[in-house]
Amino acid sequence: MQDSKRFWALAQQIFPILNDTVCQQQETEVLKTDFEQLCNFMQENLLQDTFQQLVMNKIEKRLRQEVVPEFWSHFEQSENKGLKQFYNAVKALYDNYQQLEKVIGKLIAFAKFAKVSQIPYQEKSLQNALKLSLKATLLGQLHVDYQTVTMNFYEIALKMEDSDENSSDAMCIGCAQESSNCNCLHLFQETNRKLGKMFLLEPLIGQTLTNLSYNYIHNHIQKICKDNYDSFIASLEKWLHSVVIVWLKKIYYFDASISLDQSMEMFEKKLVNYLYNSYTKIRIDQLFNIVIEYPESLPALEDIRLCLPRTDLKQLLTKKCQKAMETRLLHPGVSTTDILTAYVATIRSLRVLDPTGLLLETVTYPIHQYLRSREDTVRCVVSSLTEEGPNDLAEELNRGEAVDENAPVNEGDEHWETWTPDPIDAVSSSKKASKDSTINHRTADIISMLVNIYGSKELFVNEYRTLLADRLLSQYNCDTEKEIRYLELLKLRFGDSHLHFCEVMLKDIGDSKRINQRIKEDSDYSEDEIPLSTMIVSQQFWPPFKDEKLELHHQVLKQMKQFTEGFETLKGSRTLCWKNHLGIVNIEIELNDRTLNLSVSPVQATIMMHFQDKGTWELEELSKTMQCPATILRRKIGFWLSHGILTETKLDVFSVQEVKENKNSAPEDFYVEDFESESAMASAQDQKEEELQNIWSYIIGMLMNLDSLGLERIHHMLKIFAFQGPTTTECSQSELKSFLDRKVRERQLIYSNGLYKLPK
Amino acid sequence: MAQNENPLYEQQPTAAATVLTVEKDGDTVARAQNDGHAVTKRLHKELMFLMTSPDKSISAFPDGENLFKWIGTISGPQDSVYESLKFKLSFHFPNSYPYTAPVVKFITPCFHPNIDTSGNICLDILKDKWSALYDVRTILLSIQALLGEPNVDSPLNALAAMKWTKKEEYKKLVMSTYNQA
Repeated sequence: MQDSKRFWALAQQIFPILNDTVCQQQETEVLKTDFEQLCNFMQENLLQDTFQQLVMNKIEKRLRQEVVPEFWSHFEQSENKGLKQFYNAVKALYDNYQQLEKVIGKLIAFAKFAKVSQIPYQEKSLQNALKLSLKATLLGQLHVDYQTVTMNFYEIALKMEDSDENSSDAMCIGCAQESSNCNCLHLFQETNRKLGKMFLLEPLIGQTLTNLSYNYIHNHIQKICKDNYDSFIASLEKWLHSVVIVWLKKIYYFDASISLDQSMEMFEKKLVNYLYNSYTKIRIDQLFNIVIEYPESLPALEDIRLCLPRTDLKQLLTKKCQKAMETRLLHPGVSTTDILTAYVATIRSLRVLDPTGLLLETVTYPIHQYLRSREDTVRCVVSSLTEEGPNDLAEELNRGEAVDENAPVNEGDEHWETWTPDPIDAVSSSKKASKDSTINHRTADIISMLVNIYGSKELFVNEYRTLLADRLLSQYNCDTEKEIRYLELLKLRFGDSHLHFCEVMLKDIGDSKRINQRIKEDSDYSEDEIPLSTMIVSQQFWPPFKDEKLELHHQVLKQMKQFTEGFETLKGSRTLCWKNHLGIVNIEIELNDRTLNLSVSPVQATIMMHFQDKGTWELEELSKTMQCPATILRRKIGFWLSHGILTETKLDVFSVQEVKENKNSAPEDFYVEDFESESAMASAQDQKEEELQNIWSYIIGMLMNLDSLGLERIHHMLKIFAFQGPTTTECSQSELKSFLDRKVRERQLIYSNGLYKLPK
Repeated sequence: MAQNENPLYEQQPTAAATVLTVEKDGDTVARAQNDGHAVTKRLHKELMFLMTSPDKSISAFPDGENLFKWIGTISGPQDSVYESLKFKLSFHFPNSYPYTAPVVKFITPCFHPNIDTSGNICLDILKDKWSALYDVRTILLSIQALLGEPNVDSPLNALAAMKWTKKEEYKKLVMSTYNQA
């Protein structure tokens, strides 16, 4: 008993921590004999393990109750922010740690002497056990502000590192002193050294460093990528290694728990991966602009192409790109030409990203859908195809080399060994198109892709025909050579058979000139007052004209009759059917005080000729003579009123104004051209309506005899029996469906069980 | 501005048909077999003509994808016992059409002196009086007319021929036959 008390006192003397104190004053020299006696006593009583445990428990208690709370308490102080705060905290912690390490040192000596076999926590040494419990206790009592404080600390350090390179004489960011007498860098290194010694570098601030690096990288990329579509991959990777990794190396150099190479290797992998990810993400966010800027943005596209296989962001790209298209392109505020330009740019740039066209197909699916819903798409495409001046589509057309769609697809046989299936995400959209068209779609060139939006060439060819007719009829001295060149180019693309009609139209122009000449050379034909030049078009081949009724002046009619006779003798068994309201008339109007030269429409010329015969006309009377509705006639007379040639003397009574009232307003002799901007052709809408009406009669016939049919069957039958003539455009199944649904709403059809039938 | 029109354009096909019928029978059959395309073309044309004609009491359409099999519909002529009834007929065009008459039968059962119980029709223009000038429309119109004015002298359905004069009884039989369908 006496022994026990004596040895306990001795133990307390050697390990003051047993009294929950750490000797602040100079350690009293422990006698070697005392120490050995204690060891022997413990060993004799088999208490050595228990004693070591006891000391460890006391150390841990101290860590728990004093050291760690003190460390965290530094974080609560509101003053003394910046580098100092964290430095002081770490310094205090380190001092405490060193004291405890001394205790551990003694304990190790004890364990060695007393032959203690066990080390707590299965650690290699008692020092490691101490470090482990320190780490555990620290993390167990994490402070709320700890992240912010460490973040601040290292952010400043990083900034310092950054500014070191830029300017050497600037103020220190950490302490706002001049760099020369600032010891921030020293503080920083000291902190890291201490943390490293305690094995706390990675556990305590590893996450902070990672976050910090990520932010830093992200901001850097964002800064350099803004409105700049150059290639940055190489320079970014260099930057990462020369700035971020170097800085991290400086910190991890102090980490004693793990070798520098090992820790840096892990960090580097993480950072490079993050670099690629965030770079790609930023580029994907900019993708719409990149697409629009094509080909200036080609380097950026190349970058994305390189990054995509490393990052698994294809899905995101598709989604973001579609979204961007929808918000920035596919709404009523954007003109169709702009959408088409963007679409062409999209095709070109996505080809860079993915030469197989799969990505393109997925991304442009909404554009297809949208363009299909726009009425003027076809017209826009066709007119920009044949437009003069710099234009993507015209260039594309001039490049020629149409894809021969009928060429056998033999890739399946020859490259079967290298064949790979489409990725899963491609299926969703390509399912909608039939397999055959998918292949065409992917390999087709830009014009074919545009044409494929509608799925048929006929629509485009028809639109081109209308456009051509318009151009030929509105420009009387039309440059047929240019048109023939375009026609040849289009033939390469759409095939001869489709454009046969247009060929005939162009031929008509040339023939007209020749026939005109022949008839005028004929001695039977004489032109006294009205020289006539006729455009003879073949009814079968030209698109339908807009019909307007107009009775021409008898003088003109006489001349026309003469011309018709001349034509009949020339061409045998053929005659002319005049379109009175189309054409252009050059007239010279002589009044008392002035002479006017004008190019006007036949209606307006006819009005003038009637006024030549008789100075004053009532609207009603003139309307009867010309067989033109009064309302339209009034509008046409308006033209002459505005020229000051006619005046409305009373309501609906017009007369010639021989002398102009105020002479200073206009020059005496001027030449005005008046083209009505309206198209001479029946509008596409009208034509479509007429076709649908035609189809409707077939549908009635079908349903009357075959009772009830499904949509598909009706479409199929129409395809076989109704879409035969060259002028009828094919009607897609969805178009047909909306037409039939309209008829159902109008109660002209009954729809039940997926079948349509006629009401009884 | 003028359009170049062939004034003969509309009459052309019929004129050609007339010329061809003058040829000898054997000759025409051989000719028709040579160009089956001409037959489909003619049938297409007839279909288009039929579809665009405003007459709603007769109608016909190919049955399925085969252009040589049609189904026709006629409404019974007004002021006859068949008024407001609708009859379906089947058309079967031979390869030598229009030089040979199509086979026409009633699908809907019809009680009539010149129509037997399996739908065969006794009509001269479908037999010896056939001419290439006739088409689906004229056939339909002829059959429609036949319903109103039967030829009681050469009956296929003797009962119908007998009862023809007794309107009340006749109508009852017509309705009961029609309702079998």
